[in-house]
Amino acid sequence: MKKPLVSIIVIVIVIVGVALIYYATRPPEVVPTIKIGVIGPMQYVQGIGHWNGATMAADEINAAGGIQVGEKKMNIELVQADSNEFINITDATNAMERLITNDKVDFIVGGFRTEAVLPMQDIAMENKKIFIGVGAAHNELCLRVAKDYDTYKYFFRGSPFNSSFLGRTSFIHLGTVAAIMKMTLNIPKIKVAIAAEKAMWTEPMIEAAEGVIPKMGMELVGVWRPSPIATDVTAELSAIQRSGAHIIFTVFSSSVGIPFARQAGELKISAVQVGINVEAQKDGFSQATQEMGNYVATLNTYCRSVEYNELTKPFVDGYVERFGETPTYTADTYTAIKYALAPTIEKAGTLDADALVAILENASYMVPSGKVEYLKDAEGNHLHELRWGPGYLTSLGVQWQDGELKSFWPNKWKAVPEAPEVTYKGIVPYKIPPWVVDAYKQ
Amino acid sequence: MDLIRFYVRKLFTVLKNEVIVLPSRVVVVVFFLFLLLLPVFTNNQYTLRIFTLTCIFAILAASWDLLSGFTGQINFGHALFFGVGAYAAAMSNLHVHLPPWASIPLGGLVAVLAGLIIGIPCLRLRGTYLALTTLAFPIILMGFVFAFPDLTGGELGISGIERIARSRVTNYYIVAGLMFGLCTIMWKITDSNTGIIFHAIREDELAVRASGVNTTRYKLLAFCLSGFFAGIAGGLYAHFMRIAGPSTLEVSMSFLVVIWAVFGGVATIYGPVGAVFILFPLLEFLRFWQEYRTLMFACVLIVILLYMPDGLFPWLRDKIETECPRCKIRNIATRTVCRVCSASLE
Repeated sequence: MKKPLVSIIVIVIVIVGVALIYYATRPPEVVPTIKIGVIGPMQYVQGIGHWNGATMAADEINAAGGIQVGEKKMNIELVQADSNEFINITDATNAMERLITNDKVDFIVGGFRTEAVLPMQDIAMENKKIFIGVGAAHNELCLRVAKDYDTYKYFFRGSPFNSSFLGRTSFIHLGTVAAIMKMTLNIPKIKVAIAAEKAMWTEPMIEAAEGVIPKMGMELVGVWRPSPIATDVTAELSAIQRSGAHIIFTVFSSSVGIPFARQAGELKISAVQVGINVEAQKDGFSQATQEMGNYVATLNTYCRSVEYNELTKPFVDGYVERFGETPTYTADTYTAIKYALAPTIEKAGTLDADALVAILENASYMVPSGKVEYLKDAEGNHLHELRWGPGYLTSLGVQWQDGELKSFWPNKWKAVPEAPEVTYKGIVPYKIPPWVVDAYKQ
Repeated sequence: MDLIRFYVRKLFTVLKNEVIVLPSRVVVVVFFLFLLLLPVFTNNQYTLRIFTLTCIFAILAASWDLLSGFTGQINFGHALFFGVGAYAAAMSNLHVHLPPWASIPLGGLVAVLAGLIIGIPCLRLRGTYLALTTLAFPIILMGFVFAFPDLTGGELGISGIERIARSRVTNYYIVAGLMFGLCTIMWKITDSNTGIIFHAIREDELAVRASGVNTTRYKLLAFCLSGFFAGIAGGLYAHFMRIAGPSTLEVSMSFLVVIWAVFGGVATIYGPVGAVFILFPLLEFLRFWQEYRTLMFACVLIVILLYMPDGLFPWLRDKIETECPRCKIRNIATRTVCRVCSASLE
């Protein structure tokens, strides 16, 4: 009688054991996710911005329960791809192909160097994947949408607005500073020197500036072209000083922005700097210039003390708290995911790219840097290009004041005389460096 | 039927007596079969993309070897030929609407012209001076690209070029087939009388000249031939990537070619080709460790070149094969007597 009992106990133990082993080792329940590829030069500050913005958006969306896609909730899963695009364009296209083919992402955000983004765009379009470009400003990316809508309709510009608008904004900053200088220092005619790094992208800016500056009632005294990696620009600065310029219109995206600002501060050059200086957009600029970069002004997207709208502060504060620095425009992957993709998917109730494109291209929505709407060209073709202007995206004019980055523009700005004034919360007056005031008051 | 049977039997005989007897030949056959059958085993677009690009760069690396490895004309600006080929193919396709089968050879021919333009002023230079001068040419061309943006697309390059073929598999087979064909031609050139003169110029140009050979003409020929093959690679690249931009002329591209060739073994043709087939996919494979990808790549290069200064493939070949001291025929390393003349191999 004992033997069957033992056998039964053994069988029960074996069954329970097998069940336990199965339970312990069973494959985890597959939770459906929306895969978003984040592509950018991940070893550089631009790519780090891409990734930081995307992770912040994904974490916030997932913490709130995910995205409602039809009947079910889906979380976001990010896939990072290092495009290495500053060094190798082929690498960038391989990374894009890998994201789509191997990682099977549903959407892509990122990209920086236009020469790399163009073939990356081709790959995404061939695979009918929505690609929100965050970083490259060249107009061609969106002109392709209008030229061949059926192929390129899956591309949208995420940030920044295109290079034409960037140029226009810089000239408005120049005009604003010139007006302040003229009024404060009683200068009858403002003289402007252009200091642009010797790089291809600055050529159209210089050409435009040479045409626009005289039309703005200012005198152009010369163009100086230091190397993008110059460490000593005293020769250029001395020449600018001798030219009698009141304003230096800077066009810098490379490291030359640091020595230029530092040496101008050390030499107490009697001209203010305004324009584009990418180095001056970074938190470490004051330290890098040994605090000689004070009063340097540049175009920027975010500033800690400025609120475009009610979405700005939570984003900027949250970003600063999490990553210890002010977001740059490549961190607008946050905007692309949280305010463009997520609501569009919820509205469409599907991940189908064509359905999403139809909704997104006609959408109008608020983002931390303003309001997004997509432009059409003169013939009414969709461009998927960001609208620039009052009430939409404008960016900021920022200035280093006492070691802090403050924003001075838009301050009661009117795009056209009949337009309403635009001033964002936290805007402060522009400050003329004291040595410039001293130089011209004499 | 008899004819077929004859050729099948001949194939088996060749395989048995000419291929299986030498490991290096077996490797070449296996490599050929691998490339031929790759799309049968995987339809993955990414994998096919990597191997298509690998084939393009293999042509480029072999073309550098033809000029610098065999003739000894060290070229540190090989990206010039690649870029010229890419831009010429792109421009002729976009502006003149030439199809890829015409624009790619045209790219090669324009690169031949570039070879002549470089070759003529560089003929008086040797060694370091030649290397540094050639380094300057792609930079000069890049200046030209930026100076005429309406024609060259400036910093954006020329985009929207026609694909070689619509399907990725077709693209792959066309490029792989061309790679095999062109590399075989390059190998045949180096094995011909012209190749022997190339060799001789590298070893002792004065002696060659003293023998009555017009070395100037042969050096120019080497520049032109190398330019042609590199130009074809450039044209293929432009049509595959659908863009020809300044990145094709960058200094990093020139140095990458030198790295591939030195890694695989110069003056071999098969060495640079094999090196590209190892290093290019390796760099992709290392994506799993993104932060250290380039560092790992550099470590692999250093280790290989430290222990195999003549390159990976000549080292491997010397390990598995020995050369008969009497008849110079290669034998598998395990043999004690030569398979042809029966001389002792020990």
